Amino acid sequence: MSSGQNNVVVAMPPGKQPAWEATVRLNVEQASYAYHSRGNAAPVFTLAATSFTARQREIVTILGPNASGKSTLLKLIAGTLEPLSGRVELEGFETSRLSPRTRAQRIAMVHQESPLLFPTRASEYVLQGRHPHGRGLRFETGEDLKIAEEALAQVGATHLRDRWMHEVSGGEKQRVILARALAQQPILLLLDEPTLHLDIGAQVELLERLRHLASENRYTVVVVTHELSLAAEFADQVVLMHHGKCLRTGTPAEVYRRDLLEQVFEAPLDVEMGPEGRPRVHVRGARPPAES
Amino acid sequence: MNDPNKYYRQKLRVNVARAAALCAALVLFAAGNAAAQTTGEKEKPAPGAMVIVKDEAGRSVSIPQPVRRIVSLAPSITETLFALGAADRVVGVTDYCDYPLEAQKKEKVGGLVNPSLEAIVALRPDLVLVTTSINRIQTLDALDRLNVATYAADARGVEGVLRSIGRLAEVIGSASDGKALVAALQARLDELRRRLTGVTPSRVLFVVWQEPLISVGRDTFLADALRLAGAESIIHVKQDWPHISLEEVVRQQPEYLVFASAHAEEELAALVALKNAPGWRDLKAVQENRIVVVSDAINRPAPRLVDAIEELARQLHPAAFADAPRTGAAAPKGGAR
Amino acid sequence: MKQPLTLRRLLWTCAALLVVLFGAVLVALKVGAVPISMTDLAVDLGRVIFGRTAQMQSDYRLIIFDLRLPRIELAILVGAALSVSGAGFQALLRNPLADPYVLGVSSGAALGAIIALIAYPGIPLVTPLSAFLGATATIAAVYFLGRRKGQLDSTTLLLAGIIAASFLSALIIFLMTTLSGRDMRGMAFWLMGDLSTPLQESLRWVFRVGLVAGVGAIYTTAADLNLIATGEREAMHLGVEVTRVKLVVYVSASLLTGLAVSVSGAIGYVGLLVPHMMRFLFGSDYRILIPTSAIGGAIAVVIADTLARRVMAPTELPVGAILAIFGAPLFLYLLRRRFA
Repeated sequence: MSSGQNNVVVAMPPGKQPAWEATVRLNVEQASYAYHSRGNAAPVFTLAATSFTARQREIVTILGPNASGKSTLLKLIAGTLEPLSGRVELEGFETSRLSPRTRAQRIAMVHQESPLLFPTRASEYVLQGRHPHGRGLRFETGEDLKIAEEALAQVGATHLRDRWMHEVSGGEKQRVILARALAQQPILLLLDEPTLHLDIGAQVELLERLRHLASENRYTVVVVTHELSLAAEFADQVVLMHHGKCLRTGTPAEVYRRDLLEQVFEAPLDVEMGPEGRPRVHVRGARPPAES
Repeated sequence: MNDPNKYYRQKLRVNVARAAALCAALVLFAAGNAAAQTTGEKEKPAPGAMVIVKDEAGRSVSIPQPVRRIVSLAPSITETLFALGAADRVVGVTDYCDYPLEAQKKEKVGGLVNPSLEAIVALRPDLVLVTTSINRIQTLDALDRLNVATYAADARGVEGVLRSIGRLAEVIGSASDGKALVAALQARLDELRRRLTGVTPSRVLFVVWQEPLISVGRDTFLADALRLAGAESIIHVKQDWPHISLEEVVRQQPEYLVFASAHAEEELAALVALKNAPGWRDLKAVQENRIVVVSDAINRPAPRLVDAIEELARQLHPAAFADAPRTGAAAPKGGAR
Repeated sequence: MKQPLTLRRLLWTCAALLVVLFGAVLVALKVGAVPISMTDLAVDLGRVIFGRTAQMQSDYRLIIFDLRLPRIELAILVGAALSVSGAGFQALLRNPLADPYVLGVSSGAALGAIIALIAYPGIPLVTPLSAFLGATATIAAVYFLGRRKGQLDSTTLLLAGIIAASFLSALIIFLMTTLSGRDMRGMAFWLMGDLSTPLQESLRWVFRVGLVAGVGAIYTTAADLNLIATGEREAMHLGVEVTRVKLVVYVSASLLTGLAVSVSGAIGYVGLLVPHMMRFLFGSDYRILIPTSAIGGAIAVVIADTLARRVMAPTELPVGAILAIFGAPLFLYLLRRRFA
């Protein structure tokens, strides 16, 4: 399967204006990686050379089942792993070559939250997002406080400001974590399976917020997920991963082909075109259709 | 926002800050000054006669003369000082200096391992006496650095104890008393040796501690004391306080078991229980009641040591002393004070 | 704690704690085998400040300057070193129960001390040097054992430290059986923590410099430590050089512990409790936790040492015992408050 090329003109669904702008911000070019277990010559897991690009205000989803190489690809983008071959460039700079501080000023990562060691308030948590921009002991300036407040407001969590992190609900915590990422004032926002523990309402809310933020703040957003429906609805570009290989990149309409999806997800699936050119995925039951 | 209390709180904070800064400055200034002043300006002893002696640890000690105020940091030294008639010059003793009874009334300076340096210095001693076996080198070193004359005694063997007593007496300025005391003690030891010529030494086990079973090594001065009392320890190891197995003792079947205690009668009574103790009851010495308890003075390198040796000899070889009934000097059976 | 930490709040808090420390020092100077009244003390301090020490009663001069002040200074240095070290290890190992000794540094130092006692019984200077050597060797060994994929990993480090500590303790117990009664008692005091032996002047300077360097080094990572406490992965994505920070904290905290233990034995509870108390009072922000732990630790050990000197005077109790007696119930109380 060939992957999408940089300069291919993508057929636009009728009536939809491009949400993204022309300049390429994130350039992933033939990036690959291999994990070796200690001492062994053969790699335990390989990510084959992958390429795609992303622009401002674009939401890219890296889609695939577990162990397809999604997280590895995300780490390459974040610059925490150095690609074995190829490169990952953010606005012309290779992400793995940047110092952690410079990286953190441009790239914000939203993880599943680790357990906190000591009780922390949400406001303090969000303020930590200003760390890459400070020096020395980093006593927060008025400017920092303002940015943190704004970040909380943008995720609709201003009311959570004085609450303890260990006391808020899952969805609220997710919002605060997102706010911290926003406080970094990044240009690239990365999220690793952000919808994992959320109910469907919270999931939709999160992705709508992301779409809004991407547009408002001109972020480039890359979301790793295995949620087919959400990706279909919210992604501008989909990177489909399977066993460490990128099978296809493109708009959801292009990537969501029944044969491709069934191969990748190993489940009986049906694809139909929905409104606004976004595909809808249905699960076909195990029983054969009742036919008389 | 214009909270009147805030103004006062701010004022308070400012004053506290000023106070803190002032205190910090004072402390730093004082410390700096003090350091500058006292380095190299240690307490020099008052000018007067000084005698330089070499103590038994090989150190050179400058002792102011005459020696009027003495602090003893070991019970054996305290006993010796009292025996030399220097009791009135003893100004400080340890918590463990329990003999003679008058010693317990002296000013205390703390324990053996950790005496209070301050208490010692506060007593303004001319001389501090320590032993190498009981006191720590750190204490000695610290007193040295405070320019307090400290003399270390190191007695090896019973004869060594006598020599040490003699030297100690010289150091404190009681040479004649010392000579007399040592001569008397030596005479008693000689008499003891005379009485025990031709007498086969008894094979004994000296029990330092019952559980775990600890005895004495051959190089300890306790072993030496045993020999002078006409006994031979069945344990011949180099280690000073060997931990031995009861099995080995049963195999060797010593003639006597020897214990040392400050309360000999009670100890003896308690030891009756050994008849029922596993292992111990297999010892002929236990079955036949050949258990001797001597005064714990046998542990101390002090004049009473000779009393204890004599007492042990009497109990082990009564025949050799048939013609010498106990005088007032010797202790009754059990070796109490 | 609703407002974020400012430099002003930090300085005020430190100033307040310094005042408390000053008070504790005054009490410690006043109290002792020779009672010195407050007026005498004030007058003498005045004489000191104005350089007229020659006028002081010579008894007092000796007692205050050669005995009490050095001992108080030692208490301050040891208390500060252990508390900051404890706070550092709690962050490094991501474990609120970590104390300065959990990685085996004190066992290494104790082994060094006992070897000095056996091999060079006549030279007291060898003991702290040998103890420090033992501590440093243990630090290096545990570092190499505690790495995973070339980086310090909290769990592996903790395991390596515990194993090292048990192994070294076994060696120590074995060697202790060869000690004479006097040495064994001395060693027991050392193991419990003991400030009664005055430190040589040269070593005192080493300690002062070491304390400032160690605390300073850890303090430079204070902001990073706050982030590491929310997760190492997150901290890395926020620009923290996690590997470098962990190494700095490990080496500095271990050296601080090594210094403290070499001169005073293993004084317990300070490194564990003081950081928690300071967290309780002033919050978990490491930018304020480190300086307050240093001063708080100094206060705790000065007070405990004063009690150790006086409670059963003239017998001196080991300061570690006093801290344990007061520290354990305090710890229980804090534990319950935390989970209330």
